[in-house]
Amino acid sequence: MIIDINFIGLIIASIMASAVPLILASCGELITERSGVLNLGVEGMMIIGAISGFALMTVTGSLIIAIFGAMLAGVLISTIFAFLTQTLITNHVATGLALTIFGIGISAMIGKNFVGIPGKEFPVLFEGLKDTIPLLGPILFGHSIVFYFAFALPFITSYFLKKTKIGLIVRAVGDSPESASNQGINVRLVRYACILYGGAMSGLAGAYLSMIYTPQWIENMTGGRGWIALALVVFSTWNPIKILIGAMIFGGLTIIQFHMQAIGVRIPVQFLTALPYIVTIIVLVVISRDSRKIRLSTPSSLGKSFHKDN
Amino acid sequence: MNTNLKISNVTKIYPGCVANDNISLEFNSGKIYALLGENGAGKSTLVKILSGVIIPDEGKIYLNENYLKLNSPLDAKKNDIGMVFQHFNLFETLSVFENLIIDSDEQRESVREKIDAIMKKYNFSIDLDIPVLNLSAGQKQKVEIIRCLIRSPKVLIMDEPTSVLTEQETSELFLSLKKFSDEGILIIYITHKLKEVMQLCDEVAVMRRGKLVSVSEIKNENIESLANKMVGQNLKTIKKKKAKTSSDQLIKITNLNFTSEDPFETNLTDINFSVNRGECLGIAGISGNGQSELFQVLSGEIISEKNSIEFNNNYIGDLSPQERREYLMAFSPEDRLEQAAIPQMKIFENVALNNFKSSNFFNNGLINENKIKEHSKKIISDFNVNTDNIELKSQFLSGGNLQKLIIGRELITSPDLLICFNPTWGLDVGAINYIHETLIKINEQNKSIILISTDTDELLKLSDKISVIHKGKLSKIMNSEEVTSEKLGILMGGAN
Repeated sequence: MIIDINFIGLIIASIMASAVPLILASCGELITERSGVLNLGVEGMMIIGAISGFALMTVTGSLIIAIFGAMLAGVLISTIFAFLTQTLITNHVATGLALTIFGIGISAMIGKNFVGIPGKEFPVLFEGLKDTIPLLGPILFGHSIVFYFAFALPFITSYFLKKTKIGLIVRAVGDSPESASNQGINVRLVRYACILYGGAMSGLAGAYLSMIYTPQWIENMTGGRGWIALALVVFSTWNPIKILIGAMIFGGLTIIQFHMQAIGVRIPVQFLTALPYIVTIIVLVVISRDSRKIRLSTPSSLGKSFHKDN
Repeated sequence: MNTNLKISNVTKIYPGCVANDNISLEFNSGKIYALLGENGAGKSTLVKILSGVIIPDEGKIYLNENYLKLNSPLDAKKNDIGMVFQHFNLFETLSVFENLIIDSDEQRESVREKIDAIMKKYNFSIDLDIPVLNLSAGQKQKVEIIRCLIRSPKVLIMDEPTSVLTEQETSELFLSLKKFSDEGILIIYITHKLKEVMQLCDEVAVMRRGKLVSVSEIKNENIESLANKMVGQNLKTIKKKKAKTSSDQLIKITNLNFTSEDPFETNLTDINFSVNRGECLGIAGISGNGQSELFQVLSGEIISEKNSIEFNNNYIGDLSPQERREYLMAFSPEDRLEQAAIPQMKIFENVALNNFKSSNFFNNGLINENKIKEHSKKIISDFNVNTDNIELKSQFLSGGNLQKLIIGRELITSPDLLICFNPTWGLDVGAINYIHETLIKINEQNKSIILISTDTDELLKLSDKISVIHKGKLSKIMNSEEVTSEKLGILMGGAN
């Protein structure tokens, strides 16, 4: 049997495409968590992004408005979270869960009118170069701008955290908000910004799903990807590069198990469906076993409210 | 150039407590000033006002006759006021260098040059590229000092800087502070340790219950006069009578080891000691040298090998705290509100907590509230806990009252051995005296104590035998008569 080498390239490209929303949402949540805030509302923010993007695209016809509108929607809903947890000092976990429930509910309500409407085609870049290089061509070329952004994001995030002053401040706030505050850093402002940024990235991840990956609106279409994104952040031990690895493994196994089901491999379907979740977590746990490094990269104040007393 | 710092009529009121009551003080560079007072006297509040962390309700601060508006720590920094906090304001997971550049607007390279110059000048040697959590307390403090020096401050405030230092580190710090003072930096030194004031400072201001009690020159004072001003009454001194030597062994620790997976914890290596009936074994050391792990191993929070702990001829190394209590051990952990008591629960509920089996507090799984309340009232009166409301949530008790309650609760079973970890940490002199008296009484009843403490004076006062823990290893056990605080200091620093 001869396997077309470009076919393998296409499979890898489809794996990468399925990893995009995970990378986007995880990298956003990573920044949020690095500042010490645990936002469990990723799923909710994603689905809001998904419906906002799709609705704006259908109504305005503009992809640019739709993409940025979805990010803005993510920012807006995360503002609710930020206001509750940072200004009213509510519990991060409860507030995040409420945000997810709220997001799923409201997206279903808005989405009623958009079910069954076909999406628009999203422009891809470097389409012509696809066939120039075997194998690598389909992997590297012919994707949306969001796709390229997603694969650059872990490296940008890593650079931001390690090399920039603002990144340092974010890490400092996550390590000890009390010390940061005593150093004259506005902890609440930093945390607001990080939460809103996380919201924007989740919104973009949702828009990618409803506008590019499967261009249509289906109720609950994020299907737990927000939770996976959250798990990736933790199991990657807050390391953006490991998020990339984890998202690729998860995406890869999701795609491969589909193909295995299609070929009719005699493994129970339930096991195949569960496989990506199990393997991703195992791999990330194994590559992140160094307890010293975990201690150094875990934001010490994660999930704890900070209230300046005076 | 001379620096003059003036505090004028500063008042800060918290609900139920006047932390600073109309305080006015003046400082001039070239001298080292002590701000002396007990815990809760209001000295920390005052320096937090000076460093912009707390905004006063009334009053003004002037630096060289200019009115300073200190609304945030940033304002203090901009006005050349540097502060080293009692609880370090460092980011443990960031590198030393990252900690130092976080509030600087300059280029990384130029800051690094500055830091190198400072370290050279004052003989500091710290690796800038390791995370702060790998540093000793003394080194962490140096990082804090460097952070202030980078901005070439006019005023340097040190809040209880020696509470985590060895004697050697303390004398190093004093040398540095004198150097800074000679170079024209105005130094304000906050402490409740009288010896240090006499040793280091030129002038002393004493605070008590939010009020300024006196300002005087050191040469006109001595330790007794300052102590009386600080406490506001003449203190009685407690002395322990020498215990009759007993050879009746109660607990024996043999080859006990503990290896932690948490890089924040200290490993214990090869711990061996024994305590006889009626004896108090003191374990000295600078905090973070394995005391907390040792306490947990002894109390059963961390399980060890069965044979490593022999208590009353039983091997109990693998038993839980609850099971150990049944063998008549009792525990008073360091953190009163996190480990010893549950802050949101009422006093009498906390009293019931450590005694599930041996007491008659519970009948067939039901709480016998009357019994518990009766007993709680007894503890409150026997141990001089200053409240008559046993329904009060324990978080509203002062540290001293809570500690008395906890010790009282632990003694309910009349245990053979009480293990205490920093029982008087953060308490005022009156409460400390009471706890010390209680511990001495326990020994007199032929019961034993293991006292893990970072307070050398306390250990010398109460212990019959003393050992020093350093990096998870115990020094040899010494009779307390042959030990001086200097000798302990050397051992605490890791020398032999």
